[in-house]
Amino acid sequence: MPPLLRRVLTEPRAVIGGVILLLVLFVALLAPALAPHDPAEQDLLRTLLPPAWLPGGDWDFPLGTDSLGRCTLSQLIFGARVAMIVAIAAASGAAILGTILALLAGYFGGAVDWLISRAVDIWMSFPPVVLSLIFMVGLGAGLANVILAIVIVDWTRFCRIVRSEVLAVAKRDYVPAARLVGFSHLQIIVKEILPAVTPLLLTLISIEMGIAVIVEAILSFVGLSVEPNVPAWGVMIADARQYMYQAEWGLILPVLGIFVTVLGANLLGDGLRRSLDPRLVRRVAA
Amino acid sequence: MTLLAAEGLTLSVVIGGSTIPVLRDISFALQPGKMLGLVGESGAGKSMIGRIIGQNLPHGFRITAGSLSFDGTDLLALPRDRHRALLGDRIAFVPQEPLSALNPVLTIGQQFAEHLRRLGIARRERYNRAAALLAEVKLPDAASLLHRYPFQLSGGMCQRVLLALAFASDPALIVADEPTTALDVSTQAHIVTLLRRLQASRGTAIVFITHDLRLAAHLCDEIIVLYAGDVVERGPAKEIFAAPRHPYTSALQRANPPLSGPRHGLPSLPENMPGIGAFAGIPGCRFAPRCPVADPACRDALPELREIAEGHFARCSPRCLDGHAAEVALEPIIADAAIASGQPILRIDDVSKIFRAQRSLLKGGRPITAVRAASLSVAPGEFVGIVGESGSGKSTLARLVMGQEAPSAGRIELAGHAMTQAKTDWASRIRTVQMIFQDPQSALNPRRTIGSLATQALEAQHHREAHHAEPRAARQARALTLLRETGLPAELAPRFPPQLSGGQRQRVNIARALCTTPPLLVADEIVSGLDVLVQAQILNLLLRLRETHGIALLFISHDLSVVRYLCSRVVVMHRGEIVEDGATEQVFSAPRHAYTKSLLAAVPPDALDRPWPPEGIADVALGS
Repeated sequence: MPPLLRRVLTEPRAVIGGVILLLVLFVALLAPALAPHDPAEQDLLRTLLPPAWLPGGDWDFPLGTDSLGRCTLSQLIFGARVAMIVAIAAASGAAILGTILALLAGYFGGAVDWLISRAVDIWMSFPPVVLSLIFMVGLGAGLANVILAIVIVDWTRFCRIVRSEVLAVAKRDYVPAARLVGFSHLQIIVKEILPAVTPLLLTLISIEMGIAVIVEAILSFVGLSVEPNVPAWGVMIADARQYMYQAEWGLILPVLGIFVTVLGANLLGDGLRRSLDPRLVRRVAA
Repeated sequence: MTLLAAEGLTLSVVIGGSTIPVLRDISFALQPGKMLGLVGESGAGKSMIGRIIGQNLPHGFRITAGSLSFDGTDLLALPRDRHRALLGDRIAFVPQEPLSALNPVLTIGQQFAEHLRRLGIARRERYNRAAALLAEVKLPDAASLLHRYPFQLSGGMCQRVLLALAFASDPALIVADEPTTALDVSTQAHIVTLLRRLQASRGTAIVFITHDLRLAAHLCDEIIVLYAGDVVERGPAKEIFAAPRHPYTSALQRANPPLSGPRHGLPSLPENMPGIGAFAGIPGCRFAPRCPVADPACRDALPELREIAEGHFARCSPRCLDGHAAEVALEPIIADAAIASGQPILRIDDVSKIFRAQRSLLKGGRPITAVRAASLSVAPGEFVGIVGESGSGKSTLARLVMGQEAPSAGRIELAGHAMTQAKTDWASRIRTVQMIFQDPQSALNPRRTIGSLATQALEAQHHREAHHAEPRAARQARALTLLRETGLPAELAPRFPPQLSGGQRQRVNIARALCTTPPLLVADEIVSGLDVLVQAQILNLLLRLRETHGIALLFISHDLSVVRYLCSRVVVMHRGEIVEDGATEQVFSAPRHAYTKSLLAAVPPDALDRPWPPEGIADVALGS
């Protein structure tokens, strides 16, 4: 709906956050073209270099090198790929699983609701990071398994929040009205309720993207994410940790990458909430 | 000595850099012990006057001209803290929504204590004072009541508590903003009687804000009729009601269907009252665009408020006031449709509905009988009204007919077929009966266009019968037909519900129910949220639909005069039981059941010389 889009585009937080995420996505997509080196290429003569503008820096490696002489900039650029894939896939996966269950629970109520809500309660009482670590140990390393682990852990976040919204929407008379003109339950869920919770869903997905980036970094850091030869920000932090007193930049730069991406996701989420939340919007329109 | 006096009061709002006068040139004088009625539709500005007195104006609104004095002091010039000291002490308020006006987390006793403390009453005297006040509003069991929370009381009891709180300080002035609108008719009669009794014992002056001209005529000494921020007429209450001189007052008076005498058609004024955004485009009389007797001069300049009789003012063109042009001819008397004999379209046979209360740790699941052994039938083309107070089971009956609830006992037949909750019956049920929902704001999905809402049934049909192709053009054509039949302009089809007025939304609501032209419609309180002139439009629309489509209607309402206007038969429900069922005229002129009699007695009568509320009505004490 164009007026909705216009509202989003006039909300500075949403625009700034969106631009940040798009930039990271752009970098990830064009990584081979943008990176000055192959991220796995080692130059053992030039290890632990600081960024080029500092004393001892070398403009061959704009952001310096790590302990094996790999180009930090190239690793950061390729690391954005892992971050973005995990962010998008895990957030969408958790959103789809959580929303389907939320729609069922909120719309049908009764025993369905009880069952799903109790599952969420039990699920949420596990510490999320520990739970995903357990899953990774069970599933084994690899990008697909990281995504799966995050989806399995974080669907509850969607389920609980979307369910309460579905409950509120289902109380509106247009839901029984649709039933009385002959809509099936599926039609009502898809055509009447889902559009009403979509703004909330977009907000949650955007925030979840930031969370997924952090969880992936944590898993990489403890070596339970991607294979060791794939460049990822968490892996970079883990490697740089050993030399952090000699070469602090190796630690600071991937942390900065995570920070900027998560900030972008949270700003976008907050901006979407402000521009799409019907309660806030109505106050502006009145 | 005048207690409250307004002189040329003008309230303006700044929108987009330009200042728009909202209330124009409001003048009145209220003597101690008198009651002044502010009457008008929603948006007329009547509540704004109450908010000016309370200096509680919404953001952006301010007084740009005129004066308002209370007991000789200029209220508008008073410093904020001195004004605040007046509120709740010398000036008290009685709000519209009794339940939300009380703090839900404090007991009634705590709320009394807080108020009495502010009035400087010693701690040990507070209980006796509160008990005395509660006894005055016929809530004698103070000891138990003061320990209870607002949500444990009925709406009528809450409003009595608020009356007691308002009169606690013996105020000189009380502003009551629609104090009975949220209540049942008999509760309204109780509250109004108590209000008058308290006023008489203390000599309080009251500003009574209401949308109900008939109620105001019974209660008030003087009435001010407001339209879009202008005083259109002002004068003695009875005179204004009996002989309105402004065309708007006259339309307002006739739009309320009478409880006795011939049933003339209700006047249908075109369009709606302009909103604040449209004020700038109407320099003259704001009623002129809808006025049946307006002349060009009315549109250009606001007519003077002219004294046409002792103390009776009207703001209308000289031609109109001198030539009695306001006497618009009465609409013709409406005739009841001929009722086809033969098979009824709806038959309810000995139907009961028992709800099991939610199981909780403290209470067992006590069954609640919402409908008890109800039987009634509706013939094709017949309009049947169901009246009763809230909790009488009339809405449950509607839900049973619609199949939203399953009856605990008895059977429901639609067009000769017994209905079960089985899936196979669903399609034939919704082909036979459709529902018009009470609140269009909630019943219309704000994300759908008007055209798609009106033809939602076709969308469902298309999905049900896969071979039944749904050509976009056919659906569009149906939407336009439905909009025309419900009196909506075709250009509304691509719009969304929030862009429509309340009356227009209710028409869309009706259009949707009409889409597959079912022989029976169920309407649950569909005009209760509408202003009286919009209500008249909707009622006339329903009558027209009966003529064109021969539809039957089960019309559920708490408003007896509306049911009398619309329905040829009326069913009275009380505590889940049908206590009376008969031809409308017979039930209204010679009610048999005691409950029907009391219900009829609680409605303000058309004849102003009949004393209302009836003697002794409020002496029924509400216990715990």
